[in-house]
Amino acid sequence: MSEAGHWFESDPLWFKHAVFYEIHVRGFFDGNGDGMGDLRGLTDKLDYLEWLGIDCIWLLPMYPSPLRDGGYDIADFYDIHPDYGTVDDFRSFVDAAHQRQIRVIADLVMNHTSSDHPWFQEARSSPDSPKRDWYVWSDRDDGYEDARVIFVDTEPSNWTWDPVAGQYYWHRFFSHQPDLNYENPEVRDEMLKVLRFWLDLGIDGFRLDAVPYLYEQEGTNCENLPQTHAYLRRVRAEVDENYPDRVLLAEANQWPEDVVEYFGDGDECQMAFQFPIMPRMFMSLRREDATPMYEILERTPPIPENCAWGLFLRNHDELTLEMVTDEERDYMYAEYARDPRMKLNLGIRRRLAPLLDNGRDEIELMHAILFSLPGSPVLYYGDEIGMGDNVFLGDRDGVRTPMHWTGDRNGGFSSADFAQLYLPPLLDPVYGYPSVNVEAQLRTPTSLLRWLHRFVELRKEHPVFGLGSYEACRPSNPRVFAHVRRWEEEVVLCVHNLARSAQAAELDLAQFAGLVPEEMFGQTRFPPIGELPYLLTFGPRGFYWFRLVQEESAA
Amino acid sequence: MTLVRDLVCALPEEGLREYVLTQRWYGSKSEEVASVRAVDAFPLRPGDEEPLLAVAVVEVRFAAGTHDLYNVPLGLRRGDGGFASVDGWSAFDALEDDELVQGFVELLREQATVEHEGGTVQFCTVGELADGLGSVRAMGSEQSNTSVVLDERLVLKLYRRLEAGVNPELELLRFLTERGFPSIASLEGWAAHLGQPLDATLAILQHYVPVRRDGWTLALEDLAAGGNGFVPLVRRLGEVTGRMHSVLASEPSDPAFCPEEPSAEALALIVARLDEEIEQVFASLPDLPELEPLAGRADQVRDRLREMGSSGPLGRLIRHHGDYHLGQVLWTEDDDWVVLDFEGEPARPLRERRHKRSPLRDVAGMLRSFSYAASASALERGIEPPTGWEGRARSEFLAGYLAEADPTIIPDGSALERRLRLFELEKALYELHYELGHRPDWVRVPVAGILQLLDEEAV
Repeated sequence: MSEAGHWFESDPLWFKHAVFYEIHVRGFFDGNGDGMGDLRGLTDKLDYLEWLGIDCIWLLPMYPSPLRDGGYDIADFYDIHPDYGTVDDFRSFVDAAHQRQIRVIADLVMNHTSSDHPWFQEARSSPDSPKRDWYVWSDRDDGYEDARVIFVDTEPSNWTWDPVAGQYYWHRFFSHQPDLNYENPEVRDEMLKVLRFWLDLGIDGFRLDAVPYLYEQEGTNCENLPQTHAYLRRVRAEVDENYPDRVLLAEANQWPEDVVEYFGDGDECQMAFQFPIMPRMFMSLRREDATPMYEILERTPPIPENCAWGLFLRNHDELTLEMVTDEERDYMYAEYARDPRMKLNLGIRRRLAPLLDNGRDEIELMHAILFSLPGSPVLYYGDEIGMGDNVFLGDRDGVRTPMHWTGDRNGGFSSADFAQLYLPPLLDPVYGYPSVNVEAQLRTPTSLLRWLHRFVELRKEHPVFGLGSYEACRPSNPRVFAHVRRWEEEVVLCVHNLARSAQAAELDLAQFAGLVPEEMFGQTRFPPIGELPYLLTFGPRGFYWFRLVQEESAA
Repeated sequence: MTLVRDLVCALPEEGLREYVLTQRWYGSKSEEVASVRAVDAFPLRPGDEEPLLAVAVVEVRFAAGTHDLYNVPLGLRRGDGGFASVDGWSAFDALEDDELVQGFVELLREQATVEHEGGTVQFCTVGELADGLGSVRAMGSEQSNTSVVLDERLVLKLYRRLEAGVNPELELLRFLTERGFPSIASLEGWAAHLGQPLDATLAILQHYVPVRRDGWTLALEDLAAGGNGFVPLVRRLGEVTGRMHSVLASEPSDPAFCPEEPSAEALALIVARLDEEIEQVFASLPDLPELEPLAGRADQVRDRLREMGSSGPLGRLIRHHGDYHLGQVLWTEDDDWVVLDFEGEPARPLRERRHKRSPLRDVAGMLRSFSYAASASALERGIEPPTGWEGRARSEFLAGYLAEADPTIIPDGSALERRLRLFELEKALYELHYELGHRPDWVRVPVAGILQLLDEEAV
């Protein structure tokens, strides 16, 4: 009775009309009072998540790890970090989530392990170790020289000398994260075993971290290689064969034409993040010009029917600026990272609310655009209440501070002593937990949380947002971002004013002549569409979503 | 084996649509329907002997692209006469056809496990099924399900809306039956599907309880007759309810039933949900004279809600009835109460109906039902209830309830009153929403209830 599919109607495309919610277990809720969030605490908060209306939880890595990279440095693929609980706690959590019809996917880092992983310890111990070939070794540090260094702030090279092994080892990320050697069939088989282990526990899929880097090949930039795609197809075939209705979500921070390769012919990952659109949304907002968004959407190739983009405003990493031009990056830094502490690698380590100067209209507008685009939105924990960040904490910790549940001690996150908390909760006068917390916002009908809850509900009532086609509908006023979504009998027109001033725009809606726009929040009917351009006026940062309905059926 | 599946899935849309959309159990009458088709079928009998017996999974798809699934067991016979035909076969609703009902009963008797390509239909019984369940009669008067009485001994109840997961009624009846709770129609068996396209409870088999009156009829008759006969029975009803909750809260080792402490936001979530419901209901109130007294009072209702949902404990959360009112309790020939229909409010999704919540929701449901009976008597039949009738019923019920309910599951003192009012308001809003959609003539009743909650002193 506790099979994974037991609480769901079978639906291989569920992820296409789902709202995702990304959770850092350590930061969500402390169930045992030790100062760190854990799986039992997270299970306690499922009622809240069910109310919020999300369909799928994405967990940041929850495996044993020395935590030098937020858990992306995995030291055991088959267990739960002791701070978070046990495998049994995990199973109970997944089961409790499923009973609320919430699915669970988890981060999985296939590319590398922690240097603490027993595999690496064994590998470095001797050239004859059976695990030696599970990693990538060299006597020289000049191989694969066309591969870029990703963590430019900390890593001088992709090769690091290991005095124990007496060789250099290859790593695309931190030097404490040696890359696994996918040329070795044992590694490929082992990683499939890892997937099966968690799928058998009932998990609904994986976010595959850092997938472009699985294989290396001399003379290439060692990203997106054909061997990597071949392996992903094998993973997908295995999942399809034995685990229906599961999803693989690729983290491939690449240009759209390269990312779509990860969908294959619908036989690799079902989802991939749409990285390039994200900085352009922030750019468009600041410039009051929809052009950057239209352009990147135009440049985005079509994807297979059984696939979907993952869309997000912010996540647990820095707001990445890898997929923009140098000029655009300078612009983004100048506009969104005035304090140099806010920069990290090629990105900006800030949460959504502070990025938007805590402007409620801006936060709503950005969510409206996010929810209107083709793909599945991914919310980041805390952003639904407009949590802030702490730029004085190192690395990306500033955006991974404890969730604010109440205005009480430790923001209701933990009953431990303040000094015992894994990171201090925010206490500043604007974003601190005494003013920004779930309890207060639940009680305030006009709060961001309550608004977002209604918005999630609205989106879920209309599968067109997840499943429908996208057609740009560019008005002559470049400050207005407008497009049409269609699926089955539903036609939806989404129009957004990016400007901080009131605007008017004329839309060419002649193809819909005779239909009536009905605003979706309040079901207010607007004048019918005729042959002439349709005039709409907007308040500052205002937006409308309209269903285009037949005159007689308008509710 | 696949013959029947192929036939069912090939049933023409027209006949199926006409049939399904006009049934009492079809629950989305106000939504615009895009299509109706059988998306799957589970054969129930091997071979191609007539009549073929199967469960059709019928998908009703709405214009927005969402859909509902319905459970339509049917028989196929050669020739004409059914509600739809394909390839010379006609489809008949299995619950309206004695021969086909008997087929169902046989499967239960055999405790059959019928496999098909995508899964299995399992028939289970609690004990041995009695012989000679020959006579079949329809139960009638149901909304979301279909029941037939077998030989005046058993009731076969078929769930029409299919939702993934175990039906809460099966869980609750099984739990209460296993613990020997006497005030129910005990569980005798069930049928469930496991596999594609969903795991779901299809039907249950219950003991049939000969009835003198259901609580609602009893209350209205009593009101018409002067109002002295009913109130004395209400104390007993409170006791039965209290004992039911105590039993439901008695199993700390079963995760589906063990009582839980509410999370820190539990009360705030209830209030937030209700607050949005109030906003929605008031924003879309039609122009009816009966609604006049509520016009412009949304903010007042929301303020009152905040008082009811303010500080103080919520009590522990348990599995409970979920749709408790006078229509769900029967006064039997043994002069005692029996509780029916453990499915929860049919308009809510299954996952919500399975939630553990405060048992005070059931208490509030019954209190609202007294108010409903009094209002219905006055408004619909022109018989004013005797002074203090509702108040007496209320205090008798509460006294009986508090005497028998496990004290660890309910808050005490003023918090109890505030929480009761909160759940009464929740119920009244549900009633208003329901009546607006189904019985506009009755809208006055929940309106009176909401006004009463608005105008009384804050507790």
